[in-house]
Amino acid sequence: MKKNLLVDIGSTYFKVCDGEDIQQHFRDFNKDIFDDLKYKCADIIEKYKKEEVFICSSANGGLSTLIIGITNSFSLKYATNIAFNSGINIIDTVLYQNIKNSSIPSDLIDVVIITGGIDSVSDIFNEDLFTYLEQVNYSNIVYVGNENDAKFLSQNIKNLVVLPNIITNKLQVNENELKEYLTNLYQADIEGKEDIKHLYNITSNQIYSTPYIVNRTLPLINNMFKVADPFILVDIGGATTDIHYSTTLVNDNMVKNNEYDRLVFKKLGVYKSKESLIYAAKNNEFVYELLAHMNVTENIFQEDSDKALRTLMKLAIFLVLYKVSEAHPLYVHLKLDLLKSIVLTGGITKVLKQEEAEDIVGFFYKKILNTTIKPNIVLDSNYEIWTLGITQ
Amino acid sequence: MKVVTGVVGNDIHVVANRLIEISLQARGFEVFNLGVNTYLEEFIDAVIETNADILLISSLNGEAEGWCRELNILKSKYPKLKDVIFMLGGNLAVGEAKTQEIVPKFKNYGFDLVFHQVDLNTGLDELEKYVKARK
Repeated sequence: MKKNLLVDIGSTYFKVCDGEDIQQHFRDFNKDIFDDLKYKCADIIEKYKKEEVFICSSANGGLSTLIIGITNSFSLKYATNIAFNSGINIIDTVLYQNIKNSSIPSDLIDVVIITGGIDSVSDIFNEDLFTYLEQVNYSNIVYVGNENDAKFLSQNIKNLVVLPNIITNKLQVNENELKEYLTNLYQADIEGKEDIKHLYNITSNQIYSTPYIVNRTLPLINNMFKVADPFILVDIGGATTDIHYSTTLVNDNMVKNNEYDRLVFKKLGVYKSKESLIYAAKNNEFVYELLAHMNVTENIFQEDSDKALRTLMKLAIFLVLYKVSEAHPLYVHLKLDLLKSIVLTGGITKVLKQEEAEDIVGFFYKKILNTTIKPNIVLDSNYEIWTLGITQ
Repeated sequence: MKVVTGVVGNDIHVVANRLIEISLQARGFEVFNLGVNTYLEEFIDAVIETNADILLISSLNGEAEGWCRELNILKSKYPKLKDVIFMLGGNLAVGEAKTQEIVPKFKNYGFDLVFHQVDLNTGLDELEKYVKARK
């Protein structure tokens, strides 16, 4: 028997790993997470000391970002990539030269990122930036542009955090400090949730975000499964879908240290984000062929059945692949034609069979990439990736 | 002075690109080499990010013809580019072509200096003369 208790709090289910046994419980949304967990698993929790309990959570759904940069090819591209890979969801980007005519985001922005220029450049930003920012409702603001402008911006923007430039003097990306800052914000967001705070009553270990835990496990994935490189790992949850990928699948001319990056799709899930998933599916140009392929009609979206859930999960797989394919330019573009393996983890592995996952991936490859060659599908049916990662 | 350089379009003449970088450095320029396979937009963006004084695009076998036509449109979007020197050099046409026809065409696209089938050092000498004359 293992000596640790592992708990993963999702937006829809929580999973509890007690030794070799993994239980999955549907959350009671009328209860605090801590009360719900204690009610359903009190006998298990009692057996462990606080230092033996490890918890991760993806129940917060991620953060929103507004990035202001001076060019699409460098400052905006670099900051966008770093934000994506820190588990942040991009709300908007503003090209600085168009800032006077840019629309103001109506939602609260968790973090505004300002960047532009190598360190020897100066006087890029002026009053137009301050006028724009006065109209934006944000919680955090960080400057990661040329060092000469840092003082001027600090004097004019309240609570501005200044970090080293993300653009090196050779025009390469320096992601370390901004990535750490954003990852910490993500972490602080999780810890700041009242629901999550209570969980420290049963653990003395830090509570991490689930995407962070999963990402740390990827270099070890071949200890558990036969996965050919390059691969992607897709974690389809109730509120969000995370996609982790080998950096060899990205052709963006960026020199980086990390072997794996990740994207979080905030409103792509099969329970809490069900409506937005259906909306995205209905607006996809292939929706009718997709439904016909699955032998269902649009009426399936109104159903609340096992078949409807399976359909939503298949749609989620299709849509997440579509979003990172060249058919959809908004997100990071992965070279899916080079992909050798797709690892599926999360609740989806308890619902879909291997052949169903293979079928929908095959449909995607045929329709979007026009090929019958498709990657190998691996199902992490026993949450082995999460249970390994959380104790690393 | 800062120079952004690289090879435009679907062109992978990496040796020529490296020689240009070395030659520019030997003449005291601070060089930002974007390498081969670079789009025109990336060149312009690199000039903006570095506040470069010169953009030197190289091209072989006529690639520039298809990739540099929109220079004036891009220049018009960024007022800061008005003082930048735009230079193009290499083999700028496919097959036989007359220099007296090619040079005005690319100048019309927005380049200040155009060198078709001109030796690298001669081209850089001309660049230095041009820079001196503008001061």
